[in-house]
Amino acid sequence: MTGWLRRLFHKRVTEERLDAELRFHLEQRVKDFIASGLSPAEARRRANLRFGGLEQVKENCREARFEHYIQDLLHDIQYAFRSLYKDRRFAFVAVLALALGIGATTVTFSVLYNVVVDPFPYRDFQHAVVVDLHDLAAPPHDIARYHYTIPEFLAIRDQNRVFDDIVGNYQLNVLYRDGKGTRRFLGGYVTTNGFSFLGVPPLLGRYFAPGDGKPGTPYVFMMNYRLWQTEFQGNPKIMGQTFILNGKPRTLIGIMPQRFNGYGSSLWLPLDLGLGAEGTVFPVKDPDVIWVCARLRKGVSLQAAAADVDAILHRLAQANPGELYPQRFKIVVRTLLDFVVGDFKETLYALLAAVSMLLLIACGNVANLLLARASVREREIAVRASLGASRGRLIRQLLGESVLLAGAACFAGCLLAYFGLKGLVAIIPRGPIPEETVIGLNPAVLLFALGTAVLTTLICGLAPALHAVRRNLSLRMFGSGKGTAGGFHHGNLRSGLVIAEVALSIVLLTGAGLMMRGFFALTHVELGFDPARTLYARVTRAADFYDNAAPSELEVPGKKALFFEQVRKRVQALPGVLTAAISLDFPPLGGAGSEITVSGKPSQQWESMVDLCSETYFQTLGLRLLRGRLLSESDIDSARHVAVVNQAFVRTYFGSEDPLSQKIKFNVFDQLPETPHGAYFEVVGVITDFKNRGLVAPVRPEAFLPHSITGFDDRMIMATTAVEPKSLLPSVQREVWAVDSNAAVTHSGSIKDFLAEEAYIQPRFSLITISAFAGMGLALVLIGIFSVMAYHVALRTQEIGLRMALGAQHGSVVAMVLWQGLRLICLGILIGVLVTAGLVHFLAGQIAGVSVTDPLTFGVVVIVFLGVGLAACLQPARRAARFDPLIALRYE
Amino acid sequence: MEQEKVEVLKGTLDMLILKVVAFGPIHGYAISQRIQQISRDFFQVPEGSLYPGLHRLEDRGWLQAKWQETETGREAKFYTLTRAGRKRLSAEMVNWERLSEAVALILSTAE
Repeated sequence: MTGWLRRLFHKRVTEERLDAELRFHLEQRVKDFIASGLSPAEARRRANLRFGGLEQVKENCREARFEHYIQDLLHDIQYAFRSLYKDRRFAFVAVLALALGIGATTVTFSVLYNVVVDPFPYRDFQHAVVVDLHDLAAPPHDIARYHYTIPEFLAIRDQNRVFDDIVGNYQLNVLYRDGKGTRRFLGGYVTTNGFSFLGVPPLLGRYFAPGDGKPGTPYVFMMNYRLWQTEFQGNPKIMGQTFILNGKPRTLIGIMPQRFNGYGSSLWLPLDLGLGAEGTVFPVKDPDVIWVCARLRKGVSLQAAAADVDAILHRLAQANPGELYPQRFKIVVRTLLDFVVGDFKETLYALLAAVSMLLLIACGNVANLLLARASVREREIAVRASLGASRGRLIRQLLGESVLLAGAACFAGCLLAYFGLKGLVAIIPRGPIPEETVIGLNPAVLLFALGTAVLTTLICGLAPALHAVRRNLSLRMFGSGKGTAGGFHHGNLRSGLVIAEVALSIVLLTGAGLMMRGFFALTHVELGFDPARTLYARVTRAADFYDNAAPSELEVPGKKALFFEQVRKRVQALPGVLTAAISLDFPPLGGAGSEITVSGKPSQQWESMVDLCSETYFQTLGLRLLRGRLLSESDIDSARHVAVVNQAFVRTYFGSEDPLSQKIKFNVFDQLPETPHGAYFEVVGVITDFKNRGLVAPVRPEAFLPHSITGFDDRMIMATTAVEPKSLLPSVQREVWAVDSNAAVTHSGSIKDFLAEEAYIQPRFSLITISAFAGMGLALVLIGIFSVMAYHVALRTQEIGLRMALGAQHGSVVAMVLWQGLRLICLGILIGVLVTAGLVHFLAGQIAGVSVTDPLTFGVVVIVFLGVGLAACLQPARRAARFDPLIALRYE
Repeated sequence: MEQEKVEVLKGTLDMLILKVVAFGPIHGYAISQRIQQISRDFFQVPEGSLYPGLHRLEDRGWLQAKWQETETGREAKFYTLTRAGRKRLSAEMVNWERLSEAVALILSTAE
């Protein structure tokens, strides 16, 4: 073992010994020949003849030894360094292309891995499932409900044979009163097994124990990390202290760590389902509030679990027919991951597809560059081969360059990935991905990057190396070595690569273009009002009604309405406010729905959205009256049962009938407290349609009723303003507390900001990333076309010189080269457009408001590509035209 | 005529070298002479195969080399068999015997 090391470092000694050994042999032979009677000169001649080439034998001896491999490797690396340095521009472009591909793939894979494959820090989360109830009469993707009543939950918990553990929880608003005023937090009741279910230990204190929440036990609660940090500055001394929550003193027993967002609340209360336990007392009979999360027993499929729960709920439905169950329904069990990530998965898969294309383009580019180089170096390779380099050696030498390139690209790619990921994390929408997700480069991702690099090396390096060596080498040396016209050996392969690159890039660019159009359409939906000048503030008065079992002194509906009216008048009086209104929700995203019954019409499953508002609502949102009248101040004051409906309502339910004076009952009111049960509302007016169910979906029927008919604790104050809405928020808060210090402003801001956060952020994320990929792809293709055309022109120097010597004009030479490039580009565009047209329906879910075969987008992409492609060909073409025929002909 | 001398069969040269070296320390020239002599001038070992072969066998650890003086007082590289080389030789000889038996069997089969 030490032998080869010694020989490696004492190369001179080794060489001398090899020489001495072989010379000894020769001299012995000469001696023997002389002894057999030949003259010294003849003996030497014969001995030499018999020995063959001394250098060849030496080389073979060297190759027989192990250190030879290392020496060759070192040589190859050295040589690769030198030859890449000589051709710096090529090396730079190749490394850049590969690094872009590797970096982009790594970033996308990181996000995908962290969001889809491994998002939660929770125990055994692959087996955590949620339970949906589907109405079989509704479209297949509509979920009728995923909340259950307490009897339903208990039935599922006690009768199922498919779950190991099952957790129930529901959210509620928790009003927290300290000295200054009242604030609202999102709280949740969770069955006491909820925390051991997820398996994340508390940061401080303890979880709920099975006894917590039973009647007669002390009131306790737990808090999440964010609330602890923002409201209590991370002070650990608050552990064990008592807080007034929803009017009851409660002791803080535990704080959860940062990477925990189970049950989506800021603080948690223990839910015991025994008789009379707090948290089970609702003002309504059988409200379906419990969200169910369960762990599948080992080996049970989602379908089997669904069938089991389905049987339980159908038994319940048979025993208690009523509003809770649709005529025909079925249960679907899906994973918690699916529930949380949902549609965002599609966006990520689209990105992965886009980025794979980018990687393919990058590889194609580098392969093309290497092929072009190999063809220019044919002669050099032939010379090496005839000087005794073996094929294996030549392949290794060429491969050495690609390995070096890939190594550099891998390094650059990792850097790019690191910073790219930081950038992406900054723009990624937090909404659709689980909050616990930590997106970072992890070992698996790094391995993926390395795998990509190695694969790229093999694809790009080995193919040209084999290609260069496969043919008869000795023949090449006698050719011009640069390839004469028609002797452009790898023309077809390289043209094919360019065409493929163009086609892939077209797919990317068209996808990005469609997203851009879709996004533009989305942000320019006609809202009917100016979201930048509209302020909203949700105001909550008392405890959430679920938690407020005992009626307090405020429970006269009119009195509550009076509070909101007072707030509205004060907001209206603020300088900078034009009009102010009260509602339950605001367009275009909000709105509650209800089944309706129209007086005198057979009972059908009709539905409408309902908003409860003040008379100023229509003016504030700029809604125009079409027929009848709007709500009046006296309607509000006396809580009259009248309704204004939109056009969609009239179209859907009345057709050509006169909508005025029709009477409608909103069935949802029958199930709620503090609402008029069994009341019919008379239609008094019709207003114009406006977006009320998201920016994309068609307008749904909606009715507007006086807000004073109910005693809800929770209203929206909206105002159109002459100034930036945000600057008014402190004043609004002050006015609210001036009327009642127990009221809290929960969300507030301008509707524009709200839309930017809620409606635009995910499309914008897709748009930005896909556009970035498309831009990179376009740049890569530009480089690809340019380098191929430049090599092409270099190879044809002689031919072009000959043409010019025979009288070809500059213009015709330029046209010839351009035409050659254009042919490739056009073919690529054609294929790309066809492929895109075939693939584009996969994008349909991502893009709204524009047809996926939008001819404008396709047209613009094709034109951009023709322009970019021609620009890439222009420089090589003009260079060709500048050749001096004399020099070109002598060129060699 | 020299032309009629047969080049050593591919793959058997290693075995022949190991066998010759097994008799005791010997240099390259003597190996080629010995093979030629023992085979009664039937085999001729070309230098272009002999020396790479020797270096390969040394690299594998089957031969050991030492610079020593010859009987005429010149320095030459003498090869000796190592333990691994001895094992290798016997393995190759067993293989060869089975091979030649099998070939002989086939050739001696009546039609």
